[in-house]
Amino acid sequence: MVNDLGRKLAKLAFEERGADMLLVMREEHGNVVPAMVPKGEDLGDVRLDIPYQLITILENIYPWVSKGRIAIITRRCDEKALAELVKRKYVDDKRIVRIGLACSEDQIRRCRCEDPVPSKVDLGEPHAAAKGDELISRLEKMSQQERLEFWAGQFKKCNKCFGCTLNCPVCFCDDDCVLEDRTFVAEPSVPPGLSFHMIRSYHMIDKCIECGECERSCPAEIPLLTMRKLLAKDMKELFKFRPGDEKTVSPLNTTLEGEQLEDGCDEC
Amino acid sequence: MSVEHVLTTCPYCGTGCNFFLQVVDGRLTSVVPCKTDEISLGRLCIKGYNAHAFVQHPDRLKNPMVREKGQLVKASWDQALDRIVKALKEIRDKHGPDSIVLLASAKCTNEENYVFQKLARAVLGTNNVDHCARLCHASTVTGLLYSFGSGAMTNTIPEFDGADCILVTGSNTLEAHPIIGSRMLRAKEKGAKIIVVDPRDTPLSRISHIHLSQRSGTDVAWINGMLKVIIDEGLADEEFVKARTTAFEDLKKVVESYTPEKVESITGIPKEKLVEAARLYARSKKAMIAYAMGITQHSNGTDLVKSIANLAMATGHIGKESTGVNPLRGQCNVQGACDSGGLPNLYPGYQRVDDEAVRAKFEKAWGVRLSPTPGLTLTRAMNDAMAGKVKAMVVFGENVMVSDPDLNHVEEALKKLEFLAVTDIFLTETAKMADVVLPAACYAEKDGTFTNTDRALRMLRKAVEPPGEARADWIIACDLGRRLGSKGFEFSSPADIMAEMATVTPIFAGITHERVDGKVLRWPVPDKDHSGTRILHVQKFTRGQGQFAPIEHTPPAEVVSEEYPFILTTGRNLFQYHTGTMTRRSPKLEREAPEPYVEIRGEDAKKLGIADGDRVSVSSRRGSITLKARVTDKIIEGTIFIPFHYAEAAANRLTNAALDPASDIPEFKVCAARIERA
Ligand code: SF4
Ligand code: SF4
Ligand code: SF4
Repeated sequence: MVNDLGRKLAKLAFEERGADMLLVMREEHGNVVPAMVPKGEDLGDVRLDIPYQLITILENIYPWVSKGRIAIITRRCDEKALAELVKRKYVDDKRIVRIGLACSEDQIRRCRCEDPVPSKVDLGEPHAAAKGDELISRLEKMSQQERLEFWAGQFKKCNKCFGCTLNCPVCFCDDDCVLEDRTFVAEPSVPPGLSFHMIRSYHMIDKCIECGECERSCPAEIPLLTMRKLLAKDMKELFKFRPGDEKTVSPLNTTLEGEQLEDGCDEC
Repeated sequence: MSVEHVLTTCPYCGTGCNFFLQVVDGRLTSVVPCKTDEISLGRLCIKGYNAHAFVQHPDRLKNPMVREKGQLVKASWDQALDRIVKALKEIRDKHGPDSIVLLASAKCTNEENYVFQKLARAVLGTNNVDHCARLCHASTVTGLLYSFGSGAMTNTIPEFDGADCILVTGSNTLEAHPIIGSRMLRAKEKGAKIIVVDPRDTPLSRISHIHLSQRSGTDVAWINGMLKVIIDEGLADEEFVKARTTAFEDLKKVVESYTPEKVESITGIPKEKLVEAARLYARSKKAMIAYAMGITQHSNGTDLVKSIANLAMATGHIGKESTGVNPLRGQCNVQGACDSGGLPNLYPGYQRVDDEAVRAKFEKAWGVRLSPTPGLTLTRAMNDAMAGKVKAMVVFGENVMVSDPDLNHVEEALKKLEFLAVTDIFLTETAKMADVVLPAACYAEKDGTFTNTDRALRMLRKAVEPPGEARADWIIACDLGRRLGSKGFEFSSPADIMAEMATVTPIFAGITHERVDGKVLRWPVPDKDHSGTRILHVQKFTRGQGQFAPIEHTPPAEVVSEEYPFILTTGRNLFQYHTGTMTRRSPKLEREAPEPYVEIRGEDAKKLGIADGDRVSVSSRRGSITLKARVTDKIIEGTIFIPFHYAEAAANRLTNAALDPASDIPEFKVCAARIERA
């Protein structure tokens, strides 16, 4: 049976915003399960407290779902991920219905999130941004050598599961990922070596919207989100650029004067 | 248009991670981790993430096949099943029921294994039913039954998080059980100390606090050495030993002579490191031991397992939260295949076939007379086939032609059979030799349960239809049962089978599909209100008192010689799985580890003029294979390592089928070999 949250969502998505289906989470089999529910079907026991990466799920199924408007729960980071997808024409904006979810205080704390409120709040109460990342402050106090050792120690735990890429909403290169290219990541065994992480870091630098899904997925519990935040900081300071806005063009695709490169690859 | 996320269980290792298979209009599109799953915590390894890839592969078997004039040709289900029934009846009438062997499967569900063993016992009339647990943890079952009375992990996967010390031996956990490995990393992050005892350098040993590299085949010696240190330094838990165990004095006498110096000379482990490790393990408040095939796959595997149990009992590290003896089971349902009676001497729930009261119970439940003699183990069955005593084999989902030791011998044995039927999802090396091949549904195409390595029942839920005419193994086995004239196979669903199994299996008595669907239950579950058992042996051991076993070090069955100067050891890598039938058809996994290789230490390679990437030939007394050399510092001198996944250079053409007398497990981990440039 549908719960109150489900009723509210159904009204928003199907009645008010004309969606044909809704991507949501609900309780089933004693777990929280992502579900694509067509209009008219019971939404069930809707749960929004478990941070599934719905944008990644949407991306996986999008090529097969050729018709209809899809409503999706969007936190602030999801909005930004969608912007990156729309910008690259991976999804058609006209087929997406956004339902803004303001993250809980607890979630904001766990993500050390500095930008937690979606442009339109349909569900949840807006809360203040987190006050920075404790690990960043610790790292900033370390010498360069200590910092290198810290990260080398972290990456030594990597088990090459590719969870950080597979679950990332803005990791698009699916079948020709550089990380699977022997030229760049030669090491045949685990852990895969620093180059694996460095390449991924830079490959995502103008796309990462700091959703934290890589960190949550990492079986080695490497603080990948902290690394992303550090890189984002550089990106902002060097190029005054932050991913997650449909209107801006990545500085990596432009000349120093700000014009777009002739045949700029739209993936990196 | 339909989009579904079907919650199910990983078909690879025994960790038993749950995840969602994403299905769009009957097409498997990807694997999504389940964030609320208590075992995986929403993380998977690379195999899990690619578990959808082989399911809809074009190579899947879609039709039954029968052999006509030497060729396998397409047949109808009726033709194929009738052929099996006819052959089995003839052979049984002519040579007796014990001339037939049925191989159950660690890749099939509990319900299917229950039906397989019932088919063998109640219909064919033989206890000749076994499966590949014989090749991985048979010695765990026999060893821990002896010491504790229960042959399974004593504690649970989530408890690794809370340990102060984790001693890992013979387990390359980060590669073979990655998500259990990740729990160990977590524990380490929280301050736990990790001790790894392994002749190879593994991803886990590289981040451990203490790494002891013993010579392969010398494990009793280091364990006895640790026990001596513990006893001499007063670190044994006297109170626990006195209240809960027997035969400690016998143990004391045996370990007395294992001085650190002597142990160093046998194992090569520096004595200071041994002492340090012994103190660390004994002094920790919560210490867990995890082990896998590096312990079990020896010709003294049962003794080794008992030695591990000795260590845990002497220090009182058992029967409490985050302690215990934790065998990590290799396959998705190898625990369950044992639990469900896929063993020649045990009915479901580890009830002995030679116990009259137990047998009477099963005779009443199934309405037939049952054989009181324990059946043949898989490894013995091969010998008996070779000797012409076993005439027919019915194989469900096992690829003995890659997985078993001494393959040249297996191949000859299978050729000698009068009749071989194989049910599988691909035309495996074994299926190619069969008289009848039946196409099976894989994990994604059926319902049922697996038991993971920590005794938790994990649900499989059907996500897609099987290809062509393929059917679930339980449907095939029930059909065979009925066609052979039995009435006990009128099951309507796997849930229905579980309902029957629960009535005859005390450890499963409280298990129903309905309960398992919404909640993690770990056996024993004695009744319908019981919420399962996390920690075994809390108040007392299953067998009453814990039993110490005094054990002396003995050298392995095969030792190095001038002609075969290297110790060859075999195992897994992260990307491939077992005989590779599934992983090698998953492009991303195959890409990471596409070809067979042998690891050899730099110094050894140099002496032989072998460079990294060279083609080399590796030989043992039983055969020879050619493959690529991987020169590495991850392995100790004098030892070489070959992963066993690759049929084109099958490590098991070399391995020794020397058996552990108590459990019949073969000695995969040690054989003498020679390596030279090809
Ligand atoms: S935080 Fe991680 S998962 Fe999220 S967008 Fe950035 S790289 Fe991708
Ligand atoms: S998720 Fe973590 S363990 Fe997996 S590949 Fe990425 S960094 Fe490595
Ligand atoms: S750890 Fe084991 S069960 Fe979990 S995803 Fe990997 S292979 Fe599957």
